[in-house]
Amino acid sequence: MIETTASPFPQVRLRPWLGIVAAALSILAMWMGLVWAPTDAVQGDVYRVIYVHVPTAWLAYLAFVVVFLASIGWLWTRRPWFDALAVASAEIGVLFTGLFIVAGSIWAKPTWGVWWTWDPRLVTTAVMFVMYVGYLLLRSLSSDFERRATRAAILGIVAVVDVPIVHLSVLWMNSQHQLPTVLRPPGGGSPSMDPAMSLTLVVSVLAFTFVYLALIVERMDLERARQQRIIEARS
Amino acid sequence: MIARASLVALRELFAERNQPDGLAAALTFTATLVLLESLAFGPGRATQPDVASGVFWIAILFASVLISTRSFDRDLEDDAIDAIIALPGGREAIYAGKMAALGIVLALVALVAGVFAIFLLDLEPALPWHVALVGVMGVLALLPVSVFTSVLALRVRARVAVVPILTFPLLVPQLVAATQGMSAALSGASAEALGWTGLLAAFALVYTVLGLTIVPAAIE
Repeated sequence: MIETTASPFPQVRLRPWLGIVAAALSILAMWMGLVWAPTDAVQGDVYRVIYVHVPTAWLAYLAFVVVFLASIGWLWTRRPWFDALAVASAEIGVLFTGLFIVAGSIWAKPTWGVWWTWDPRLVTTAVMFVMYVGYLLLRSLSSDFERRATRAAILGIVAVVDVPIVHLSVLWMNSQHQLPTVLRPPGGGSPSMDPAMSLTLVVSVLAFTFVYLALIVERMDLERARQQRIIEARS
Repeated sequence: MIARASLVALRELFAERNQPDGLAAALTFTATLVLLESLAFGPGRATQPDVASGVFWIAILFASVLISTRSFDRDLEDDAIDAIIALPGGREAIYAGKMAALGIVLALVALVAGVFAIFLLDLEPALPWHVALVGVMGVLALLPVSVFTSVLALRVRARVAVVPILTFPLLVPQLVAATQGMSAALSGASAEALGWTGLLAAFALVYTVLGLTIVPAAIE
């Protein structure tokens, strides 16, 4: 029987600092991405969409790995805090996956001439998106709290298999998508970036990471309030 | 565990024999799907190994979902699921037993659909034993996921829609491997066919072990 929604970890006061840092870094990243970073010699200014596309991709991967870890946490401890973390991270992961598909399409149209193509990276990303939409659908159609959390946790553990498949698809299969630039395997991958572009990318990733953390904290707060209402209703 | 799994499997097979609506539906649906897909692609393209393989494996994919959903529907309708859960022993035996029984049913459907596809599309498999091997491994790779998602969606509203939504994305790698493997076997590329068969075997093993380990927590 669930008795507490308390966190199993020491309490740290994160609001409103996370939101403030996220906003500040986002403004800095926007300025760097749109103004400060140099124009690409081949692609011109259209390449600047990578300052949204790449961070949202990485944060989507991170979000789904967090879902995996939180799912293990729920199955191991049965603490609702882990379930709240899982659902919060899954929702944000789905949002970021959608964003990075859209950003990728915006880049692809002027570069490849099409909004979408049946490229392994794109297809596996679309599959990952549908998988986690299915995760959220499964949660929304389950009425009992513990059963919902358990089913979602099992799916969250299995679905994470697609995350490395998405990232490594460009290496395993013939792909139009460029090879990994930062997380390159030894001896492989596309050329490294201009230092100014790399710095801008790092700042963008940091900005999106803080956005993710800020959203997670807010969403978890809502979920834990809902869990508390369920516990109170039972008692 | 093996004894209990055998009991569950035998029960499933007897239930299917007494009420073969699941098998009949799967056979009819699969044959219809093969026919419709062939018509959609046209006789010229449908006979090409890669297209014929895709036609076949998409039909089997739908059949695996249909068979596993129907199996659990029958248990829920008859309130048999509670009796099965109450049997002594671990719940992983339920998953194992279901997989064993539904594997036999799906293999039968795949065999009939395969023969139908060969005659309908006038195929001449260059490596018939490789085709059979890819077929067996494909069934073993698809089924754990179908049973797993059917268990997850047990007693969930709109199960009929949720199970395919959960199953199909998880089965994309297996679908690609099965299609490429069978296409290679039909074309006579032995090494390539065996390579894809190995990948299917790996998926079958991983998802079976994963299912036996964590799915029992969802059986209730």
